[in-house]
Amino acid sequence: MGLLARVADRLYWAARYVERAEDTARIIREHTNMIIDLPTSVPVNWEPLLAIMGTREAFDARYERADEMSIVRFLVADRENHGSILMCVEQAREDFRTCREVVPREVWQAVNDLYLYVASHHLDGVARASRSRFLERVVGESLRTAGFFGSTMSRDEAHEFIRLGRALERADMTTRVIDVRAGSLMVPVGEEADPHDDVQWMSVLRSLSALQMYHRATRRPVEGPATLRFLLMDDAFPRAVSCCLTDVMESLQRLPHPEVVLLACQQTRRLLAAVGLEDLDGDGLHELVDRLQVAIGSIHDQVMATYVRTPADH
Amino acid sequence: MDELVGDDGAPRPAAAALMSLIDALGSETLVDRQHVAELDILTMGITFTVYSDGQNIDRTWPFDIIPRVIPGEEWDRISAGLAQRLRALNMFIDDLYNDQRVIADGVFPADLLKASVNFREQCRGVRPKFGVWAHISGTDLVRDHDGVMYVLEDNLRVPSGVSYVLENRAVTKRAFAELFARQQIRPVDGYTDELKRLLISLAPDGVVDPQLAVLTPGIFNSAYFEHSFLAQRMGAELVEGADLVVGDDDCVYMRTIAGLERVHVIYRRIDDLFLDPEVFRADSTLGVPGLMRAWKSGNVGLANAPGAGVADDKVVYAWVPDLIRYYLGEDPLIASVPTYRAMYPDERKFIIGNIGDRVVKPANESGGYGIVIGNRATSAELDAAVEAIEADSRNWVAQPILSLSTVPTLVPGGGGHVVEPRHVDLRPFVLTGLGSYVTPGGLTRVALPKGSLVVNSSQGGGSKDTWVVDGVFSQSQSQSQSQRQGSA
Repeated sequence: MGLLARVADRLYWAARYVERAEDTARIIREHTNMIIDLPTSVPVNWEPLLAIMGTREAFDARYERADEMSIVRFLVADRENHGSILMCVEQAREDFRTCREVVPREVWQAVNDLYLYVASHHLDGVARASRSRFLERVVGESLRTAGFFGSTMSRDEAHEFIRLGRALERADMTTRVIDVRAGSLMVPVGEEADPHDDVQWMSVLRSLSALQMYHRATRRPVEGPATLRFLLMDDAFPRAVSCCLTDVMESLQRLPHPEVVLLACQQTRRLLAAVGLEDLDGDGLHELVDRLQVAIGSIHDQVMATYVRTPADH
Repeated sequence: MDELVGDDGAPRPAAAALMSLIDALGSETLVDRQHVAELDILTMGITFTVYSDGQNIDRTWPFDIIPRVIPGEEWDRISAGLAQRLRALNMFIDDLYNDQRVIADGVFPADLLKASVNFREQCRGVRPKFGVWAHISGTDLVRDHDGVMYVLEDNLRVPSGVSYVLENRAVTKRAFAELFARQQIRPVDGYTDELKRLLISLAPDGVVDPQLAVLTPGIFNSAYFEHSFLAQRMGAELVEGADLVVGDDDCVYMRTIAGLERVHVIYRRIDDLFLDPEVFRADSTLGVPGLMRAWKSGNVGLANAPGAGVADDKVVYAWVPDLIRYYLGEDPLIASVPTYRAMYPDERKFIIGNIGDRVVKPANESGGYGIVIGNRATSAELDAAVEAIEADSRNWVAQPILSLSTVPTLVPGGGGHVVEPRHVDLRPFVLTGLGSYVTPGGLTRVALPKGSLVVNSSQGGGSKDTWVVDGVFSQSQSQSQSQRQGSA
């Protein structure tokens, strides 16, 4: 049974929004933890969070000071910020509500539970005392939706569009974290690393829930190049860009006429394969991540062009 | 009269187990269960959409935990009456669009048909499968103080509410699990399978495993929840007008990610006039250009058929008993409310002279809009009604003011909650195809403010689960039985 193009579009975005809310929660939670770990002599900075989410301008238009409370409120609970956890969850719920005919009831109810929790508790996510518990609950509830998704939904075309949206959002988020956090940590050849850098690299891994898997996979202490290699090129860790790409390609193989989109995926893959990480300093990394993001963006564009915008032409 | 409690204050036999449980629980536990039920409704996402202040708001479905109970043997009679009524109405519609025997035979006035706003000239000569036009109907019933269940109106166009019948039951099963174990309460879950079977039977000849679709006006429609619910339960696609296209071959296709795919049967939840801009309202963006072509060519099944609404206006209502006798040669098994028709001068005069103790209704409004209840209206409202009747007499009917029966309902009061009687109506759903199916019970709607008769959820009404209970002795039987036991 063919999936309606309109419904495919909604499912894709619904999955992206749930994933975005979950990833944002992880990143804020980790940033809060890291700042607690840093010695008081090191100046704390919350602005990288805005850079990761790419919402610096929107923030500045609404807030006077880039302090902890303003930034966290903006990213968690601000209705004017379309990327806030509150708005992502609300949008995801609305998208799922209007695709219930293709989604198992349990998945819808889990999304609705996530929404009901966030709608009534989002202010808990701002105050430091209750923040971690709120953010953990957001991650937990969104994984509950993923659990029902994995265990109750047929692996049909609707399923693949949810998987596609989730994988692309993850890949995108991982590149953003690398861009902002890692870019500032890369040490030009010959210079000595800051002693707090290992804490920061650990924090990069933690904000993608990747620290434990990093240790299992690399057998090395936490350090810059190995961390980047892991987050970009590992084929087994679900938030590594390469692994996300594999997910995307597997989904596409199960969808009709995926050729053009697969081509865009292969170009991204080639980009990853050509990277020599040891040679990268801050600027080089920034350039690489830029190219990766453009490549991921073009996969998204091809998905839209192939399945949503002009499906009747096929 | 009350549905659960007799005039002597004792529970009616079919409701005895329920009433004694309610007594045993006490109001505190009952309120707890009501809250749990409301939480269930919230987390299950059972909603309806209201249009207010220029915004469409998705609201939680209002529900009262205390069900309405109907004895099985009574329901069997009502059910037979509904099936009979819908058979006759369908023969009437089919006749109007084809031979018009009913007019030639002088049973139904030709003038009425000419004046009908719901007669679709474009449907003349079409012969849908089984001669059935109104496949899905929601018939409103009320019980007057005389204990008689009357048909209040036939809804043959796009009646809604059946999803809440099923969802109310799911919620009540959790709230009163102990009673479901002890009593034979007829299950309601079969409806969607029956509907699916019916829709499949409407597929073009020769099509095996037809593609079914539910056509919705979209997420802002008040019944969107239901459209989505029915599509979920049947595995049908939920489509909007823009998802469909009619090809040069007069077949209907939907836009999928793989291209165009044929659709064989559409359960449409869009009003006739918006269905096809080629034929009806040209400015409709909700419909599908060419849909009527496809239907008339037999390439797609439509439920309900366009034009079915001709038989559900409040003027035609007055003729239904005659139509049942005419088409079926049977007496009606279910009563209609005596109805005066403003189109006839003598009846109009009677309506206007007695407007203070009548209900006057515009023929073609739904949702309770435009209704004037004589003994509750202000004199200015009555004057306005008289003026409207004189200006457009074909469009108005009047009926005696019925006193709707009540069901005990949990309402705020006495500093907490109390159980008090509130007025209810009942909307069973009838499927008509090759055979007939009637939901056991239906949607009980309840007017929550004390004394109110307005049950519409768009105007503050609530809802209840409806139990058709089998295997209960009637009161006289159980009394004589206990007497026998006492004397033995």
